[in-house]
Amino acid sequence: MTRSMRSSTLFAPIVGTALFLAAWEALVRLGDVRPFVLRAPSQILAYLGRAPGDFLAASWTTAWHALVGFLLAAVLSVPIGAALAASPWLEQASQPILVLVQVTPFAAYISSVVLWLGYGTPPVLFIATLVCLPPLVIAMVAGMRGADPATRELLASVDAAHWEVLWRLRLPSALPTAFAAARYSLGISLIVAYLVEGSNFADEGLGAIGRRAAANNAADPLWATIFCAAALGTLGLVLVGAIERSALRWHVSQRRLLP
Amino acid sequence: MSAGIVLDGVSKRFGTLEVAERIDLEVASGTFVSVVGPSGCGKSTLLRMIAGLEPTSSGTVSIDGAPPAQARAAKRIAIVPQHPGLVPWRTVAGNSRLLLDINRRTNPDQHPDPMELLDEAGLGSFAHRLPHELSGGMQQRVALVRAFALGAPLILMDEPFASLDEITRTEMRSLLSRLLVRHPATVVLVTHSIPEAVALSDRVLVVGPRPARLTADVEVHLARPRTTETEDSPDFNACCAEVRQQLRGAMQR
Repeated sequence: MTRSMRSSTLFAPIVGTALFLAAWEALVRLGDVRPFVLRAPSQILAYLGRAPGDFLAASWTTAWHALVGFLLAAVLSVPIGAALAASPWLEQASQPILVLVQVTPFAAYISSVVLWLGYGTPPVLFIATLVCLPPLVIAMVAGMRGADPATRELLASVDAAHWEVLWRLRLPSALPTAFAAARYSLGISLIVAYLVEGSNFADEGLGAIGRRAAANNAADPLWATIFCAAALGTLGLVLVGAIERSALRWHVSQRRLLP
Repeated sequence: MSAGIVLDGVSKRFGTLEVAERIDLEVASGTFVSVVGPSGCGKSTLLRMIAGLEPTSSGTVSIDGAPPAQARAAKRIAIVPQHPGLVPWRTVAGNSRLLLDINRRTNPDQHPDPMELLDEAGLGSFAHRLPHELSGGMQQRVALVRAFALGAPLILMDEPFASLDEITRTEMRSLLSRLLVRHPATVVLVTHSIPEAVALSDRVLVVGPRPARLTADVEVHLARPRTTETEDSPDFNACCAEVRQQLRGAMQR
């Protein structure tokens, strides 16, 4: 990548973000918006500046919850995806379960899971993992099925073991679709972490602060948590994007082609 | 070193569709045999049955007296598929090594060095490139190198040059001949190009329309090494004519 291309790939998002923040600031200041509905970026930053340590610690907790939940799902999706890709029967049998997990609003069963697993981290990780799993598994199955049949036969011609086919062919073949699902799942994981933290009466995490602020009609801390959560999500996507770019250098999606 | 193949009454049916019918064939080790026939005649299926990747409906295949599964497990069969089948995330060097990296315990004690083979194939300077940076002809050359790197006594090729242009095909022929001089093996090549079959083979087997049946077995007595000049000689043309005649006869059957 040349110097000018690199600067242009950073330049456009920075300009976009600046324009967005300016419009937001102007809307709040000129539109006389009530504090609880929307706070201006400058007001949020000023509030964050008063107790930066608290929000940093809460952001850390939430980031850790979201990331661990997501990673657990990502790790689990490999053996599950491999099993389902290898057996159409298993795939069909598991389809209802995957769909059920995906369509049932997790917000509805948060209290039950908290009752089961107790307060604090366990219910957060459980629900985050559960909700992230279906999209990752479906992406794994599709990607593994898409492995080149000619290469598959080639491996069979030297008597490759199942794990070798998985490791050398199916898993790398699934990476492009897995990364697409990972971007989506990571965002979902953050939403789950925020909501479950708020619902399980814990003292830690952005969700807990947000929940208390909402209950007390405190606009400043509420918007501070929203701002931090958005920053975490952005950071997460940038990280996934960077990993994707280096891991998928070979893939057509990473090449500069005609539009 | 190289392997002999025996097919004894091999038939193949997919449901009611007869694909191959009672094929008997013996290929002495070190021989280059081509199978020529119209597309859809079942010659690819025949190749896959020799490798044991497709079970026979009846009859037996043996590679050096053993069933194909045993030969595969001992890495004594190398395949060159119709499409190169390179893995896009491995470099050219990595793809050349692919079959050696799989099932490593059974690697032969001695096998050609993939890097040297790449040099022989004129790809030395591309060793660290990814497949998508290569032309179709170069990708197919990597597929040849990958097969030879295994050091297998039997090489099965399924129309490996079919998607290449005429000029590249000629280059590939001479590359294959050169590689075989240095790394001898028994070869079965499925093709629908008569000049390709004659230029490379010791024997050309003619297969009629489905179900596959061997209708002629033409021996090619052209001196080796064969060059591009060989392909302009009257003997070469006479041999092509004979195969063409046999094929015409097979088609009208």
